[in-house]
Amino acid sequence: MISYLIRRILQLVPVLLVASVAIWAMLYAVPGGPVAMIVGQDASQEQIDAATRELGLDRPLIVQYADWVGNAVSGDLGKSIFSKEPVVKLIGQRLPATIQLAVFSLLIALIISIPIAIISALNPGTWIDRVLSSWSALALAVPTFWLGILLVLLFAVELRWLPSASRYIPFWTAPLDAMRNTFLPALTLGVYVSGILARFLRASLVGELRSDYVRTARSKGLPERQIVGGHIMRNALIPFVTIVGLMLANFLGGSVVTEVVFTYPGLGRLLVQAISTRDYPLIQGIILVIIVIFMLINLAVDMLYAYIDPRIEHK
Amino acid sequence: MRKSFQSAAKTIRNLMSRKGVVFSVIFLGALSFLAIFADILGFDYLTQNLIESLQPPSAEYWFGTDELGRDILSRVVYGTRTSLVTSAGAVTIAAVLGVPIGLVAGFFGGWRDAVLMRVVDVMLALPAILFAMALIAILGKGQMAAMIAVGITGIPSFARITRAQVLSLRNRDFVTAVEAFGGSATYSMFRTILPNSWSPIVVQAIVLASVAILLEAALSFLGMGVAPPTPSWGEMLRTGKSYLYEAPYYAVLPGIILTLTILSFDTIGRAMTDFLEGRHELGDHSSVDAESEK
Amino acid sequence: MNSTGTNALRHAVKKSNTDAVLSVRDLTVSFLTNGKQVPVVRGIDLDVFANEVHCIVGESGSGKSVTSLAVTGLLPVTATVSGSVRLDGVEVIGADEEVLRNMRGQDVGFIFQDPATTLNPVMRVGRQITEGQVVHGQLKASAASDRAAELMAEVDIADPKGRVTQYPHQFSGGMRQRAVIAMAMSGRPNLIVADEPTTALDVTVQAQVLSVLLQRQKALGSAIILITHDLGVVAEVADRVSVMYGGSIVETGTVQDIFDRPCHPYTAALLRSVPRIDAGDDRLKTIPGQPPTPAELPSGCVFHPRCALGAGKTRCQTERPQLRAFASGQMTACHFAEEMKPDRPSTTARAIAQAERAEVKPLLEVDNIKVHFPVKKGILRRTVGWVRAVDGVRLSVRPGETVSLVGESGCGKTTFARAIMGLLDVNEGDVRFDGRSIVGLSRKAMRPVRRQMQYVFQDPYSSLNPVLSAADIVAEPMRLHGLFEEMGSDKRIAELFEMVGLSPSMMGKYPSEFSGGQKQRLGIARTLGLKPKLLILDEPVAALDVSIQAQILNLLQDLQRELDLGFLFISHNLSVVRHISDRVAVMYLGKMVEEGACNEIYENAAHPYTLSLLSAAPISNPGMRNQRARIILRGDIPNPASPPSGCRFHPRCFRATDICRSQVPELATQSSLKTTSICHHAGPLDPKEIALASQAEGGI
Ligand SMILES: Nc1ncnc2c1ncn2[C@@H]1O[C@H](COP(=O)(O)OP(=O)(O)O)[C@@H](O)[C@H]1O
Ligand code: SF4
Ligand code: SF4
Ligand SMILES: [Mg+2]
Repeated sequence: MISYLIRRILQLVPVLLVASVAIWAMLYAVPGGPVAMIVGQDASQEQIDAATRELGLDRPLIVQYADWVGNAVSGDLGKSIFSKEPVVKLIGQRLPATIQLAVFSLLIALIISIPIAIISALNPGTWIDRVLSSWSALALAVPTFWLGILLVLLFAVELRWLPSASRYIPFWTAPLDAMRNTFLPALTLGVYVSGILARFLRASLVGELRSDYVRTARSKGLPERQIVGGHIMRNALIPFVTIVGLMLANFLGGSVVTEVVFTYPGLGRLLVQAISTRDYPLIQGIILVIIVIFMLINLAVDMLYAYIDPRIEHK
Repeated sequence: MRKSFQSAAKTIRNLMSRKGVVFSVIFLGALSFLAIFADILGFDYLTQNLIESLQPPSAEYWFGTDELGRDILSRVVYGTRTSLVTSAGAVTIAAVLGVPIGLVAGFFGGWRDAVLMRVVDVMLALPAILFAMALIAILGKGQMAAMIAVGITGIPSFARITRAQVLSLRNRDFVTAVEAFGGSATYSMFRTILPNSWSPIVVQAIVLASVAILLEAALSFLGMGVAPPTPSWGEMLRTGKSYLYEAPYYAVLPGIILTLTILSFDTIGRAMTDFLEGRHELGDHSSVDAESEK
Repeated sequence: MNSTGTNALRHAVKKSNTDAVLSVRDLTVSFLTNGKQVPVVRGIDLDVFANEVHCIVGESGSGKSVTSLAVTGLLPVTATVSGSVRLDGVEVIGADEEVLRNMRGQDVGFIFQDPATTLNPVMRVGRQITEGQVVHGQLKASAASDRAAELMAEVDIADPKGRVTQYPHQFSGGMRQRAVIAMAMSGRPNLIVADEPTTALDVTVQAQVLSVLLQRQKALGSAIILITHDLGVVAEVADRVSVMYGGSIVETGTVQDIFDRPCHPYTAALLRSVPRIDAGDDRLKTIPGQPPTPAELPSGCVFHPRCALGAGKTRCQTERPQLRAFASGQMTACHFAEEMKPDRPSTTARAIAQAERAEVKPLLEVDNIKVHFPVKKGILRRTVGWVRAVDGVRLSVRPGETVSLVGESGCGKTTFARAIMGLLDVNEGDVRFDGRSIVGLSRKAMRPVRRQMQYVFQDPYSSLNPVLSAADIVAEPMRLHGLFEEMGSDKRIAELFEMVGLSPSMMGKYPSEFSGGQKQRLGIARTLGLKPKLLILDEPVAALDVSIQAQILNLLQDLQRELDLGFLFISHNLSVVRHISDRVAVMYLGKMVEEGACNEIYENAAHPYTLSLLSAAPISNPGMRNQRARIILRGDIPNPASPPSGCRFHPRCFRATDICRSQVPELATQSSLKTTSICHHAGPLDPKEIALASQAEGGI
């Protein structure tokens, strides 16, 4: 297990390397390069030279990169051009909001998708299967930003039950208020992901139902409930864990659009702001953080997978 | 080749036996028709008429008018153009770059596979929308940039699908046979493996078309896609959202068209997947219970 | 749930019954396929009694499995079933689901074909074995683990206590199948249904599993329905036999009668078409044509398009024969069974011009080659060891000669063949073709050799490119060598089609439109285009039904004679090898252990592994069953990554001594031996040894 863990961590190194080079190189890919970013497009030659020297841009590229990585590792992602605040601080303010939203969304997605998948897998080809499968298709097809708008129209504009703009209230400070504020964005994201999860789980359940060991279990006289609960679920849930983990990782970075719809103060909206103000250090910082989180979650999922699947040998 | 023609005809006949697929094809066909012949059909998306701004749907304006008094239906029709063109371009970019990557990685394996797949892993470490946004941060805004950005985010899925397909075919006996007869690597790769890989690649293209439409709309919704006054569905939703109280139809109606378009592509893609999986075109082991492999 | 109520009812009825454990009358099963009802089982009568093994034999698709699943309503919902199936006197068809569920596991136990998939991969084996009993209230959950260990011990699984908590992937194939037997028998059912229980296993493991199955049956007195397509297995274990063809039972009787006096033309033809391990026949008598598909059944007697006796008889084409009593205890479904001529299978030995051939220069010489695959492990994926897939094999093939390589799965046969073809790198040793070394040649330098040396694959389903037409498939090798025009283009293709017995009118069709046998013919035609001198045939008939297998074997022999081809024939099937070979080499765990003229290997083998292999192989002659003692090998084939020290066979060998454990054996040199064997104690089998081997068997 330990060796597996180490190997998985080492596998992340090249990915991180490529990712960090790509993110770092972003600065050099924008028109005018990193200097123009500081001094503006139409600065004088002196200004440019001064900035070049000040930023250390006259050093060899490899040194500049090493410098940047070194800073990043020690927790210094530079300062935002727009607000002059340290990037790390800005990200730190928004991350909890995004995490809270992600967790709520995932819970909603699981609550919707698991029963749907089980019911439709156990009644393949019937009208109920068709209805539930259509739900998945629809959930996947409705763009989150449009669904968000519809929900706002219904719950905020028409019924006036919930606020149309969501604030971030930490769950442990005021659970009810936190839920009131997070419910609509979480539902929006949760519905979309419930489509993915239900479809995946249904497919793997149907696959398991056809497998030989199910016939064996029937031939022993096990009741259907025990076959589903004891045999099939175990097999189907193992790959399901991976997908759920992947979804969680996606939520942490991918809720941009939903955050914008509900003007929710998360990481995604910060990124949209950063892009529209061309605040490159902030853009780089956010993307780096999201990639690292994504990798850590994937790592955790792999570990969990290795732990729950007895077929993976861990010595 | 006659075979592919025959089997394509068979596939289409089979797919059309599903009601959902028929509706999807009709819907997408009608939409494309309107988009292509919009000028001839007299749709006008530009003329402003401030007196008639934010009118609810009526006999004259089926979908109502926007804040500048422009006909929303016309803008939806022209938005279809933007959407379909961007998505087609993006899928092409993704396929042209992704398929060869998958082919080379899967066929040669070794360091080529390791390098290419690490790059693909990095691309997958960022949700597609964020990746597209990051690219737009570099490329700048605009339809071309949106097309390229969305296209690049689609590379990993083509690369992975192709690679998986190549890997599953690579050790099949009919590929080994070509090698045993003295065929070159290029011959096995392009003449034997690729012709057997089209089906999943085509399905992937259809799936990706819906993803691309969604992404383009999302980018425009965030103000990073197509620049006004070119109409785009995402941009309409973005503006419509500001008028939720005065004109709810503004954001609702274009959204319905967008959702139906995505749903149609998804329905067709899924039907094709089901069909491919159920058919086992390669190696029809219906009832071989003779001695199994030793 | 009133399971106690239904249980009581079941047992009340059970008592009133005295005769057959299972009694099937007019069982009919059809499936709804593409909107049509397709009959798959068409009116079957069958009685199975306690303490007997009733074999159902037939080719694939004849309806064997469907029949067995119908016995307790395990068929999918798309099946329509009618007729009567009485198990312990209780009617199964139309019975309440709860009644059926209570029968399963208590009155009937199942053993399925593939032990790799019949067990749930993520549940502990012990739990799977006793789960049924716990559900039926026969066993307390707290006692389950001990009971599982007890049951495992009964099927000779070593260290049962430790094995109870393991998962299926930690078991070898043979062990898994024994665990499945333990599971099926755990509820002490009166009936066991075993559907091809040993088809996926090697001969030596098959012998273990069958012996355990019969041993447990004796202990419990159950009835067994054993489904198989292997007539050898039937001859070894059956008491009574039913032969199925096209969804019906065409003949039923005692095993002795079926083999000695078959009274249905299909049975007789089937028996004639299998090669026999106990005698080398010159040429197999084939059944023409192919088995029917359920969707397109012939009218009248389903066998009539292939039946020599029925040829030209209108009654056969119009009236479906019913199963009727023919002789005492034997029944047939043939209108003209009385007219059948008794025929003994011919046993004329193959004429082998061995002496004459020894003069000819060998086409292929393989000199002690080794093919090793690296085992990578650890953080840096360093090579920590080698799988010695092929570790020293030496043989040669002359023009017009068939040399066979036999051995169990995983012993390195296919690796060997592919290394010779230059598809895998050879680590050591030399391969010479026509006197020239071909090891390590570049693709380009190898090309001219590839023209003369061609490969026929095992699986006709996957060896043909599905998007090419039959003509293009056959033309491909010629095109690759730029010789298509030179060889005569389309005319050459038509010629090749005829050569392998395919109609040239099929040239435009695609592989999916061909049957298994036809695909294999196509695979052979493709290799002949470039006029090769040597064919490497890797299990070319293993995936085919018996009657088709015979057709292909005959075709190969004809082609060899006509074109003076050398064959390197790879197979695990000892009967087929005996039938087709001039010389035979036996492989175990990457090493060649014995080599010699075909008849000498079968009559005068001297290596303990060859002796065990021959002893484990079933013989299609029920009369021999009790006359021959059998060596049942212990354990499984070891992992080739860490082969045993000294002689690789020593952990399973009945002759092993200390020297075997420490020293790698050399060629045995005693002049009395008729074969070349690599063993410290080579020599013919002494009857005393068998007793010894069987004693040691307790320690499996
Ligand atoms: N679930 C099913 N649906 C449709 N056809 C089936 C099904 N199961 C088996 N069959 C068909 O029934 C026939 C007999 O099958 P089977 O009993 O498996 O034959 P055997 O065991 O003798 O090889 C075959 O043609 C097979 O394709
Ligand atoms: S009934 Fe006729 S066709 Fe059928 S087996 Fe008998 S003789 Fe042959
Ligand atoms: S060398 Fe020893 S262990 Fe090996 S086969 Fe001969 S007798 Fe058996
Ligand atoms: Mg079967």
